[in-house]
Amino acid sequence: MARWRPAALLVVALTAVLSAARRADALSVTVTDTECIHEFVPYEGDTVSGNFVVVDHDIFWSSDHPGIDLTVTSPGGNTVHTLKGKSGDKFEFKAPKGGMYKFCFHNPYGAPETVSFYIHVGHIPNEHNLAKDEHLDPINVKIAELKEVLESVTAEQKYLKAREARHRHTNESTRKRVMFYTMAEYIAFVAASTLQVLYIRRMFSKNVGYNRV
Amino acid sequence: MAGALALAVLLAVASLHAEAVWLDVPQSGTKCVSEEIQSNVVVLTDYSIMYESHPYSHPTIAVKVTSPYGNTLHHSENSTVGQFAFTTAEAGNYVACFWVDSAEKGSGVSVNLDWKIGIATKDWDAIAKKEKIEGVELELRKLEVAVQAIHQNLIYLKERQVVYSTSL
Repeated sequence: MARWRPAALLVVALTAVLSAARRADALSVTVTDTECIHEFVPYEGDTVSGNFVVVDHDIFWSSDHPGIDLTVTSPGGNTVHTLKGKSGDKFEFKAPKGGMYKFCFHNPYGAPETVSFYIHVGHIPNEHNLAKDEHLDPINVKIAELKEVLESVTAEQKYLKAREARHRHTNESTRKRVMFYTMAEYIAFVAASTLQVLYIRRMFSKNVGYNRV
Repeated sequence: MAGALALAVLLAVASLHAEAVWLDVPQSGTKCVSEEIQSNVVVLTDYSIMYESHPYSHPTIAVKVTSPYGNTLHHSENSTVGQFAFTTAEAGNYVACFWVDSAEKGSGVSVNLDWKIGIATKDWDAIAKKEKIEGVELELRKLEVAVQAIHQNLIYLKERQVVYSTSL
């Protein structure tokens, strides 16, 4: 019985460490100029991964979509990751230190855009974090690695969902444009036909005086 | 003083393992977050004000959650800490809006938002206690639930693909 106590304590400690891995769902925010999201990273060296997609925007038809800028700032104020002019992308980096990280989305155009974002902080125990334990349980390390792989699959699914929403918006916008142009074309055809009919009738209804000898 | 308080709050957040994002709510205006959720999904959300940005004042916020059809699912005012939970009746875009409703002046308010959907809402401590599992078995159970959720998501995406292609 006493022989299992250190292993049980080790499992409890590892479970507590594993519980540090967390998952944020794919929330959406409206970005008009700059929108910042803060995320807490508990350990130095944790892998921070995620993705973002511009789901919808209010830019008028004639304007092209300039994309959005993502800047990740560490607790010390340094920029650790930057993406420029993207309508959607994935990112992954190792946290240089623990603390509150800031993810800022900057919209250079000014028209509101809806950005769907997903941020995940993953932690796998290693010798550095558990230096006090005399040996590391390989089963728990493998479980943590498997958990991270499943988490990456979940993140990929959320990314696909957001891209599908964006594609749906794009197709809806295209359908509206096609409908608008089609109606405009119909109106132009009807107007041209009506004008032709009126012109011909006016031509034939003119009274021309015939000079009779 | 403020630095020590901020450090204490950060340590408290670290010890609590807060699974949350931190939003900045402006002094005037509304800050909204939204997500497209399928029907029959459990949503559990905790929100609280991060006091480190206001060590000497006590602002309060109002919260309103609306469903895709415009129904109000949650509404509270003069709050500093709160929680709301609901099961989605229809699929669509659910919006949670926050705004400052206290009369105090100053800069905006930082709100800690813990927004959990689906399997993330499971209370593993209660499950572990009820079924008397722990350690490796509990972790494997979590992985099993995660795999099942991924499987359900794949089925959902496949169905959307079918609807998507036929509607073109």
